[in-house]
Amino acid sequence: MNDGDQANILMVDDQPGKLMSYEVILKELNENLIQARSAREALDQLLHKDIAVVLMDVSMPEIDGFELADMMRQHPRFQKTAIIFISAVHLTDLDRIRGYKSGAVDYISVPVIPELLRAKVSVFAELHRKNRQLERLNRELEERVQERTEQLHESELQFRTLANSIPQLAWMADAQGSIFWYNQRWYDFIGTSSGEMPMWGWRNVQHPDYADRVIERLESARRAEEAWEDTFPLLSKEGEFRWFLARAVPIRDSQENLVRWFGTGTDISGQIAAEEQIRNLNGQLQERVAELEAIMQVLPVGVAVSQDPESTVVTANMALSDLLGVSPGENIATRIDPASTDAFAMYNEGRRLESADHPLLKCARTGQQSATFELEIKRPNGELIYLQSSASPLLNQDGNARGAVGAFINVTDRKRLEDLLRERADLLELATEAIIVRDMNGVLLFWNSGAEALYGWPREEILGKSIHQVLHTRFPKGFTEVENALAQTGKWNGNLTQFTRDGQEVTVACRKALKAGGNAILEINRDITAQLKAEDALRKTERLAAMGRVAGIIAHEINNPLEAITSAFYLLRDHPSLDEEARYFAKLGEEELLRVAHITRQTLGFYRESKHPVEVSLSALLDEILELQTRRMEFDNITLNKLYRSRGTIWGFPVELKQVFLNLIGNAVQAMPDGGTLRLHVFECSRHGHRRPEVCISICDTGTGIDPEQGKHLFEPFFTTKSTKGTGLGLWISKGIVQKYGGTIRFRSTSVTGRNITCFQVRLPDTNVQGAEVHEVAPPDAVEVAGGSNGRQ
Amino acid sequence: MDANNITILCVDDEEIPRTLRKLILQKQGYRVVAAASGAEALGVLDGVDINLVLSDQMMPGMTGTELTKFVKAMRPTMPVILISGVNEIPADAGYADRFISKVGGPELLFKTVAEVLAEYGISTT
Repeated sequence: MNDGDQANILMVDDQPGKLMSYEVILKELNENLIQARSAREALDQLLHKDIAVVLMDVSMPEIDGFELADMMRQHPRFQKTAIIFISAVHLTDLDRIRGYKSGAVDYISVPVIPELLRAKVSVFAELHRKNRQLERLNRELEERVQERTEQLHESELQFRTLANSIPQLAWMADAQGSIFWYNQRWYDFIGTSSGEMPMWGWRNVQHPDYADRVIERLESARRAEEAWEDTFPLLSKEGEFRWFLARAVPIRDSQENLVRWFGTGTDISGQIAAEEQIRNLNGQLQERVAELEAIMQVLPVGVAVSQDPESTVVTANMALSDLLGVSPGENIATRIDPASTDAFAMYNEGRRLESADHPLLKCARTGQQSATFELEIKRPNGELIYLQSSASPLLNQDGNARGAVGAFINVTDRKRLEDLLRERADLLELATEAIIVRDMNGVLLFWNSGAEALYGWPREEILGKSIHQVLHTRFPKGFTEVENALAQTGKWNGNLTQFTRDGQEVTVACRKALKAGGNAILEINRDITAQLKAEDALRKTERLAAMGRVAGIIAHEINNPLEAITSAFYLLRDHPSLDEEARYFAKLGEEELLRVAHITRQTLGFYRESKHPVEVSLSALLDEILELQTRRMEFDNITLNKLYRSRGTIWGFPVELKQVFLNLIGNAVQAMPDGGTLRLHVFECSRHGHRRPEVCISICDTGTGIDPEQGKHLFEPFFTTKSTKGTGLGLWISKGIVQKYGGTIRFRSTSVTGRNITCFQVRLPDTNVQGAEVHEVAPPDAVEVAGGSNGRQ
Repeated sequence: MDANNITILCVDDEEIPRTLRKLILQKQGYRVVAAASGAEALGVLDGVDINLVLSDQMMPGMTGTELTKFVKAMRPTMPVILISGVNEIPADAGYADRFISKVGGPELLFKTVAEVLAEYGISTT
């Protein structure tokens, strides 16, 4: 016996000697011996220790053994504690001891027999130990029961939760088949509570067509205690029958006795519907496949299908077979191989196609969509056709290529048409005429390079704009007439005035035609501006020549008698026979005659003082003329601004040249009656494109100016701005003289801030070679007028 | 040489202008012989001592320039002045020493005659 199992033995006696003797006696029991010298001390020990046996002397002072025993019995913890009284044998004592009915109470009479005491204590100690062991076992048992109960409860809860959360209907029935539990799903579906569901009372939720069968099979399974399975419709609370797969299994205990049934129902309506749908889809798919095959065969586009990544089998539809010249349904894989000399050959831009480069094969191999690709096919008969092809991969479920589909369109006709159109377009670009297409609203659709050159508008700037906005066309008879002609005859020809990009006016010979379909107008415009100008210049020259011939005739008829009259008056002037009055009349006549002579000299007459040209300094000549004008200029308050950069030496006839500049300077001075500045410049210059230098004389005034309308006629004969004062021939003659020298005369009149500046510029070739010929014929630029005139105020 | 010693041959097919031209030249102091055509002028030149020929350009038969060619061919030192009422200088006007307009008036005529004579070394003053 180990220490842990030692029982506590409390010995109570007021005499230490007795206690000593008990200890000696009990020592060999090997229990734990505790001494108490009084009842009070004993109680204290009892409270602190688990005491198995109390050995007490009945007779003790203060509280005797009986009193202590009573006190113990009143305490619930000590009611069953074993007590051994030690007492002298008194009858009263024994009666009292017997009075302790319950509990373990014994007594030993004095003198104490050690063996007896040891035996009695030993019994009680052992009893105490057994009691304690039992108590412990009992406690453990209770705890285990408690634990088990909780586990069971939890497991039941889990089962319910599980049973309620599964999508199936679930139920349990006892061994007789009476259902005592349905899961929540059942109620959700059927819509009744458990109280309303009698045993196997499913008939009211069964479809009438299936109910008998279901119940019969279920009943036989129950009798045989075998598992049951069936498929049948069940009525939902919404009044709809849904298909269920129902199962039930017998549950047996450890002795193989049937204790209950567990059943489930799985809704398989969706599954059935899905199966139905798959069946339908399959049918449709087959129909589509058949349709596709039919379409492929009748399609005018060539289609080839490569059946595997290596393109060992390539099938062609009817159209492609025709294009390639092979029989329908034939495997054309080997034909695509460039090693094959069969049937047809494939090229791309003139190069025989390697099979690695073939778009369909490449696509089947790589799984990459091909770009549009042009193929040239040389057919067995040597004919070349052009196909436009593209290929798409056929992918399996893993996304890898399992083949490819290629489409081939015969573009031979289109290519030929394109070539033809390109040729036509080139022709249009070659034309020097402006060729224009515009829609009925005037929006420009086509603009060839001839139009670009004529109007100065590049096509990218002008296409899409309105032709009227751009060219500002002026129609000779009005636009409506042109439109009517186009509408009635589909054509119109005529000259139009239009404007180029830089504002230049051009005249074009225009042919318009309504495009077939009537939605656009084609126009061809030829620039005839230069031609018209040349014609105009020719007409003017002819008129001037005619005028010259007339002038010649008149000159002869006038100048001859004029000379005679002049001579007559000369003779008459100082004739001695005339009196004062007659001489006065003669003088008047002679003066008036001078005026006639002057005008005919200007127009019809001429003279040359010398037959050979002489060296003339134009600056000196201008000074001579200025000297004649000095008085007039002072009188009119005209400032002179003279700048001679050159002596201006040319070979010519001084009188003629004097006439030119006298005229120009005279005009300038006359234009400034209220004063101004006369500017005379002489300098040398060279005309662009001419090697010979020229002498340039400019005469500018700040006078009344010349308006553009007058400017146009300035160099025409009999044109004057001075009404009766001028002959209208000065500038005409001046121009004639200048042109005879191969020179030019031009003018510019501008108005700047209210001030007119009129400039005449004469350029004379520097014929600084003695005896150089002087032109007798005017150059063709008969009328040369510089623009930019703003006219008179 | 005095103007009075200078003889001018005046050629014109029209009588009145010819006579008037002769008169004004005479008034100027020249001696004047008149001829009505080129042919007549050439005849005069053969018989008369002439210092200067003054001829109209437009004449029937022989024009002034044609006459000039004949004169210059025979007598290269004979001064010739052509006078014309038309505004066109003929191409061969260069044979003559001067080609002047009739509307220049008597002053131009006198001035030209004096100039040409001076050119030939004949002084009139």
